[in-house]
Amino acid sequence: MIVAKRKPMAEIAEMVAPYKTVKVIGCRSCVAICLAGGEKEVKMLVSALRLKAKKEGRKQEFEGLVVERQCEKEWVEEVEGKILDSDLVLSMACSLGAQTIGDMYPKKIVFPALNTGIFGVPEEQGVWSEKCVGCGNCIIHTTGGICPIARCAKSMLNGPCGGSSNGKCEVNLEVDCAWYAIHERLKLQNRLDLIEQVSPPKDWSTSHSGGRRVYVRDDAKLTQHQKKGKEAVR
Amino acid sequence: MKARIQVLACKACTEMPQLLDMDDLMNVASERELVVSSMLVDRVCDPKIIKRVVAEASERDVDRVLVLACQKKDVNPGLLAAYKRAGVNEFMVEYINLRDEVILPHISDKERAQAKAETKAVAGLERLLMLQPLEKAEEVMRTKNVVILGGGVAGRKAAEVAAAEGAHTIIIEKSGSSHKTPGVIMPNSTLLGAKGYGGNFVLSIKAGEKVEELECAAVVVATGGGWAELKGPLAKAFKSAVPLYRLHEQMQTGAVPKGPVVIVDSPDPAGKTLAVQDFAWDDTLELAIDLKKQQPLEEVYVVFQEMRAFGLSELAYKDAAELGVRFIRYDRAAGPKIDPKEPTKLTVKDLAQAEVLTIPIGTLAFAAIPANKDNIGIATALRIPMSPEGGVRRGSIQRWPVSTPRPGVFVCGSAMFPKSKDMAEAEGEAAGLMAGKFVMKGVIEYGGVVAEVAQEKCSACLTCVRTCPYDAPYIGSAGKVEIRIQACQGCGMCAGICPSKAIELRGSTDDQIAQETRTMLGGDF
Ligand code: SF4
Ligand code: SF4
Ligand code: SF4
Ligand code: SF4
Repeated sequence: MIVAKRKPMAEIAEMVAPYKTVKVIGCRSCVAICLAGGEKEVKMLVSALRLKAKKEGRKQEFEGLVVERQCEKEWVEEVEGKILDSDLVLSMACSLGAQTIGDMYPKKIVFPALNTGIFGVPEEQGVWSEKCVGCGNCIIHTTGGICPIARCAKSMLNGPCGGSSNGKCEVNLEVDCAWYAIHERLKLQNRLDLIEQVSPPKDWSTSHSGGRRVYVRDDAKLTQHQKKGKEAVR
Repeated sequence: MKARIQVLACKACTEMPQLLDMDDLMNVASERELVVSSMLVDRVCDPKIIKRVVAEASERDVDRVLVLACQKKDVNPGLLAAYKRAGVNEFMVEYINLRDEVILPHISDKERAQAKAETKAVAGLERLLMLQPLEKAEEVMRTKNVVILGGGVAGRKAAEVAAAEGAHTIIIEKSGSSHKTPGVIMPNSTLLGAKGYGGNFVLSIKAGEKVEELECAAVVVATGGGWAELKGPLAKAFKSAVPLYRLHEQMQTGAVPKGPVVIVDSPDPAGKTLAVQDFAWDDTLELAIDLKKQQPLEEVYVVFQEMRAFGLSELAYKDAAELGVRFIRYDRAAGPKIDPKEPTKLTVKDLAQAEVLTIPIGTLAFAAIPANKDNIGIATALRIPMSPEGGVRRGSIQRWPVSTPRPGVFVCGSAMFPKSKDMAEAEGEAAGLMAGKFVMKGVIEYGGVVAEVAQEKCSACLTCVRTCPYDAPYIGSAGKVEIRIQACQGCGMCAGICPSKAIELRGSTDDQIAQETRTMLGGDF
């Protein structure tokens, strides 16, 4: 899932200071689950901003709201009235949510309260680690199910590099070497031959550097006809 | 129906009436609307007084009560039971802990103390008005089994007493055991985990190579605690040094320790890891007095970073000082040292005199000892808290000395902290009795202050499932969280952490807390 972190309070307070009516909108999905922007965080941020405004003698109004998934228009529409009524929307969703609101109401100013970070896995309560960078061309069937792009400091395709020692990475001794882990996993699966195969340069055109990526599932898309029908019932 | 409130205040401890103007406090409370009875009594825990107070509550048709005394778990449970019998819902009785929250922190500031006591009383009254009566339900226990972890003195005594109450006892013993006890002994076994809740636990036990499931209604932790060997420079330099409780045991068998006796708080005075356990102070005073009585002419030195004597222990401190025990306080930077080449002498810089003293050692004992990791395993398996000393934490010393915060789990002997045999046995007896009585009730009461989920808000994020110490929340058939109410202890952790604010604790909702806070701050915020 998407893992985000709240920006430091001082940064948020400075961003919102010039605006009078501020709607803080959270999201009940990924960022709620990673404890960054669900209802609880929204309520806490709103109280903190209120206190700060009061302390610094600013007349500002803050209201906290949460939607099921902020990256989906239908859910955002549920709070449309509140958005239109604001000077500033402070989004506590990931940047997808913030941008969804921005795209839907282009005249409205939308600021992010979170730093959207990684695709992470909860390793334990409160700990998320990055396991995928969304390169768009998955190769983990050849690497024992472990992604070297995300988990190796050098994103090497043919590892390990010369710096791997005692299972740790030379770039940061606290971090496990991805290629050591791949080696161990393949050994366990009796597939060590794979590590000797040289991977050719990867097709990076699917990766982020090509600009914005759009994923389409044609089979899930509605036809023009269906779309019209849906619009009619709205 | 309109609320009818009784305010009850206690002036048992010496400090409370000295520091507070109790009449003023009572006036502030009783002036509030809906207060129909206010009583300032000598001792809230006194059964005779309880009778009188509750009689008045009945007469005035009281339906909720504010108790200004100590924390709920320290007050005689008979009070709540009496209110229950008189028809007051037990969740409509609110305790304000004046002793810990007002008296102790503001002991030298009369004005603040009075203001805080009054604010707390008024806030408590506001909260009372928002409380709803809650009901408890009952579940039948499936067995009368009491599982006792550990077959030492404490465990065997617990088994004997619990069996006499009518329980079936099963002792889980790490080693092989040949001792005779009532009930079953499972040798070479250890506890792996526990599902369920007090009254209906299912334990998983490793017996030899097999893992078995065992149903039981109550558990008594009577493990030796496995207090670790002494480590640290002092223990290394003076080979025959012993933990304090060992010295105590030796003396009980009539041994006369070689003087001078030096008691140091820790074998590693400069180390950061080893905290001086709470019990160390009292035990040291007691032992020092015994030593002096046994051999008045031998010197006894107590070398501590800090010596605390609470309550009646102050008298023990006085006795010890009068008997000639020498107390030496040191600073960690210049703590006691023993030169391994000359292990019969200890040098330490005395803080009071700011000079380095050299003390001859006959016997050396340490009051603080490192706990063994075994305790962590047991505490984790049973989901009971540990004390800072590294043992199993008991409830409250006054009222629940052999209980843990988890219903149906009791603790005795060295599982808490190292103890002498007679003490361990006495505690085993108490824990066995508690467990036996618990099991023989045959039913579990549950409910009341428990977590409640608004499923439409739940994101199924599993945070509460991962957080709850008692495994009460689970993802139900609707894909949203449900609470096993029997397991819920009302700790509120899930409600605090739920990112979607889908959980509230009955009897302690956000609204109630906000109202209380608002009153305390004297306005809106
Ligand atoms: S906006 Fe969408 S992607 Fe972002 S946190 Fe919410 S549900 Fe997840
Ligand atoms: S040590 Fe391992 S993880 Fe680190 S850069 Fe080299 S191959 Fe990658
Ligand atoms: S913490 Fe809250 S949102 Fe998450 S699963 Fe539990 S009830 Fe649902
Ligand atoms: S209040 Fe919540 S965390 Fe505490 S025991 Fe009940 S379910 Fe578990």
